[in-house]
Parts: sequence; C-alpha cells; structure tokens
Amino acid sequence: MIRLEGVSKIYPPDVHGLRDITLDIDPGEFVSIVGQSGAGKTTLARLLIAEEQPTRGKIEIGGWDITRIRSRRIPDLRRQVGVVFQDFKLLPKKTVWENVTFALEVSGVPTRRIRDVTPQVLKIVGLEEKAERFPYQLSGGEQQRVVIARALVHRPKILLADEPTGNLDSINTRDIIDLLLKINAFGTTIVLVTHNREVVNALRRRVITLANGQVAADHKEGKYLLPT
Amino acid sequence: MSIAITSGRIVSYAWKNFARNAWIGLATVFVLVLALLSVNVLVGVSAMLDRAVTILEDKIDISVYFKNDTPEAVLQQAQFFMAGLPQVREVSLLNSDQALDAFKERHANDPRIMEALAELDQNPLGASLVIRGRKPDDYPFLLEALKNPQFGSAIESKTYDDHAEAIRQVRDIGASARLFGAILIAIFALFSAMIVYNAIRVAIYTQREEIGVMRLVGASSSFVRMPFVVEGLFIAALALVLTAGVVAATIAFLEPRLIPFFDGSDPGLRLFFYGRFWYLLAAEGGTLVVLVTISSWAAVGKYLKR
Repeated sequence: MIRLEGVSKIYPPDVHGLRDITLDIDPGEFVSIVGQSGAGKTTLARLLIAEEQPTRGKIEIGGWDITRIRSRRIPDLRRQVGVVFQDFKLLPKKTVWENVTFALEVSGVPTRRIRDVTPQVLKIVGLEEKAERFPYQLSGGEQQRVVIARALVHRPKILLADEPTGNLDSINTRDIIDLLLKINAFGTTIVLVTHNREVVNALRRRVITLANGQVAADHKEGKYLLPT
Repeated sequence: MSIAITSGRIVSYAWKNFARNAWIGLATVFVLVLALLSVNVLVGVSAMLDRAVTILEDKIDISVYFKNDTPEAVLQQAQFFMAGLPQVREVSLLNSDQALDAFKERHANDPRIMEALAELDQNPLGASLVIRGRKPDDYPFLLEALKNPQFGSAIESKTYDDHAEAIRQVRDIGASARLFGAILIAIFALFSAMIVYNAIRVAIYTQREEIGVMRLVGASSSFVRMPFVVEGLFIAALALVLTAGVVAATIAFLEPRLIPFFDGSDPGLRLFFYGRFWYLLAAEGGTLVVLVTISSWAAVGKYLKR
C-alpha cells in the first residue's frame, strides 16, 4: 500500500529531515510512527501527502509513484489519503455538517451523493446528533472526530493521522484511538504519527521508530522504545 | 466531476467571498469606476472635439459675386461646372436680391457696411454662387477652378470664409487632450491593476485557512483559484454597470447645457455614446475583464504551492 525506497529529505543548506528510509506498509495495516521531536515523523507524513517532495528515493502509494507527482494530480492523491492533524483545521464559521460536506463539494461530488455519504460518516464518528453545531460548541475530542469524518468522506485507502491526540485529554485520546481502530477494521490503512507512549504501547500494533531521520526500529507488535 | 455542479459551486463560493469582503470589494469597484470614467471622459471630449471640427468645417464656403450684368446663361454655366466637380458638396445660385439678403445677414454685425449699404439707391450686388466643398483641403482647388475662362471674367469678387485657424486650434486641443487622456488612462489602469491585485490578496489572506483546508481535502488548484477570479469578475461587472449609469446621467445633464457652445447644434454626445454602446461596452468590459482576471489569477497563485 505504501512503499518508500531509499527516501531522503534534505532541507537547504544541509539539514537532514530523513536519511535513506526504506519501508513497506501493507493494505489494512495499523502502523504507528514514533520518535522524538525532530526525528522525522512529520517530514515523513508531509511526503506521504505530497506537501513536499523527497530529495532522493522513491515513494509509492497503492502502486502509484508519487515521488515527482505533478501539482494537478495532488488533489487525486489527497482524496486517497485522508489526513487528520493535531490542530484540527476545521472551518470555524461552518457547522459540523458543512465542514464535512465541504470536502466533497470542493471535489465536485454531486449534491445527492453528498447527502447520502455525510450522514454515514457522521454516524461512524458518532456525531450524527451534533451535525448542526459549530466547532466552538464541541469538545476537543468531538472536533477531532469531525476532522476524521471529513477525512473519511472520500473513502480513502489510507488515513494519515499526524499527532491526532496531541491536544486531547486521556479520555478523548482513548475515544479517538478506538475510532481509528474501528476505521481500520473496515479495511482502511492507518498511519498514526505520534509521540504518545501510552497510546502506542496499548495498541500492540506495528511500530516504526524514527531517530535522527532514520528507521531505528520496526516491530510487528511493537512498543514505544525509550531513547537510548 | 460535473462541469455544471463545479461551475455552480464556484459561482456560489465567489458570491460568498464577495459578500464577506464587501467593503474591500466596493473600494475596488470605486477605483475601477474612476478608471472607466477617465476613459469615458476622454472618449466624450474626443467626440465633442470631432463634432466641433465637423461644425466648423460645415461653415466653410466660397461666395462668388458676379457682375451685375452677367447673363443668366453664364451663371447657369458656372453653377453647372462647379457642381460637376467631385470636390464640391453643394452649390447654390442666388439671384441679386437673394445675394443682397445673404450679404446683409452675413454682415449684420458690422454697422459700417450696413450704413454704406443703406446709402445706396439700388442693389449693388449681382448674382452670387455659394460653393461648399467636401473637405477643407478641397478649397484651394475650388478657388483655382473658379478661374475658368468661361465665367471667370464675370466674377466681381470672391470671399473665402476660411475657418482653417479655428479648425487647426480645435485639432491641436484634440491631440493634446488625447495624449493627456492616454497618459491618464495608463496611470489609472496601472493603479486599478495594483488595487485589484491587492484587494484580491487581502480577500485571500482572510480566507487562507479555508484555502489550506480546500487543498488538504483534495480541491484542485483551479477550483481554489476560480472563485477568486469570478469574484473579480463580479467586481468588474458592478464597476461597468455603475460607470454606464454615471455616464448616462452625465450626458443627460450636460448635453442640453453644451448646445450654446456648439452654435445651437447638437454636441452629439448622446448620439456618440448610445450609437456605440455595445462597442464601448465590449471594449471597456473586455479590457477590464482581462485586467481583473490576470490580477486575480496572479494573486491566488502564491497560495497554491503544493
């Protein structure tokens, strides 16, 4: 599903974000990418949604080489890779319903399909009763669930969650992780970028540990390794 | 992706953008109206100057006074000959009484001539021929043509009402006005382009969050860009409509007041603007649309990097 071959990212003049990363993520996997600040987690996430291009190496998503993807193809990629960020990125003047449908509207999805799909994803994230509320009327966990709903409306093959629990308390963190597991159970590949040790250790799923821009460890049922 | 659905949403987003940034939009409209008005003032002044030249040119003629005893056949021959020249627009033959009336009318404001005329017992004038040429440049040729030996010797005198100096002055004013106007239009166009560009940039800055989300959830660059371009077109359309209204009101107010300056003739403003309405709309609207589209397109481009 996701394949990186010898991927490096160097920021001018000579700052290495990633060094010669090679890894494969299979369809349906739930993978946590962990590491300290500056380890290269966010750089890797940005490469996966083509916000940046690698300096060297090759990146494939579902067999599609996105290493040198053209700008006009990026929207296609982003409909296949749903993204969830720590800072939510919700539109404050739009309701829950409008925030979710916005993703479909800007992609040219017909109105009838929008009316079909939106209640389904709001049900998955448990917000069907709060569709008419604005983001400021929701808790942090609920806002993050709206973001997940928005990421799901395109039925992406991959959901990339970059520190999705960074702004949440432990209860909301548990809810969001449970929701990601539920989405994973439907067959969506989940890439969770986090530095939350408790979450990673509780998941008992594959863990890729980055350190200094390199893969320091990759365990099938891994744990968050303490830095050495 | 359906073109109809996408177009509808682009127009809808553009309208929302315009409504959210109404004050910036109206300020931009105001500047565009000023720019368009400067163009139309120049066009109007140019039209009035052309009209003034036409009126002056229309007043040029040659009056040929024949000797008192000139036979009718010679007069007819002179009229026939002159009327046959392609440079001649109109020839009128006046008998001695009509010539006297015309002379009196022409010199009505000159008391010395009128007094001298009153002293005479009989009509001193013979028949006369009034000749109007097609172009001011034709008159030297017509004066030469009057030396035709068949009737030249019967001519007592000739007066050539030459308005060449006045025409030259009007044309000089016209040329200066056009030059000054062109410079003014260039400056306004530059300012308009900069203001439109910056107004759109401000509009985009206020919506940078929304643009970021649009990019994140898979909106194409054109879908992000087009609402801002369409918003620019709304602004351009509003500016055009307002300018048309101001121009129409100005013509209605100004034209009756200008008639005395045109010797009682129609200054031709209404005729000029209304007769060329679609042409002017297409020329000014087309230029404005190009200006606004390029400005909007360039302003959004900065926010569309990956």
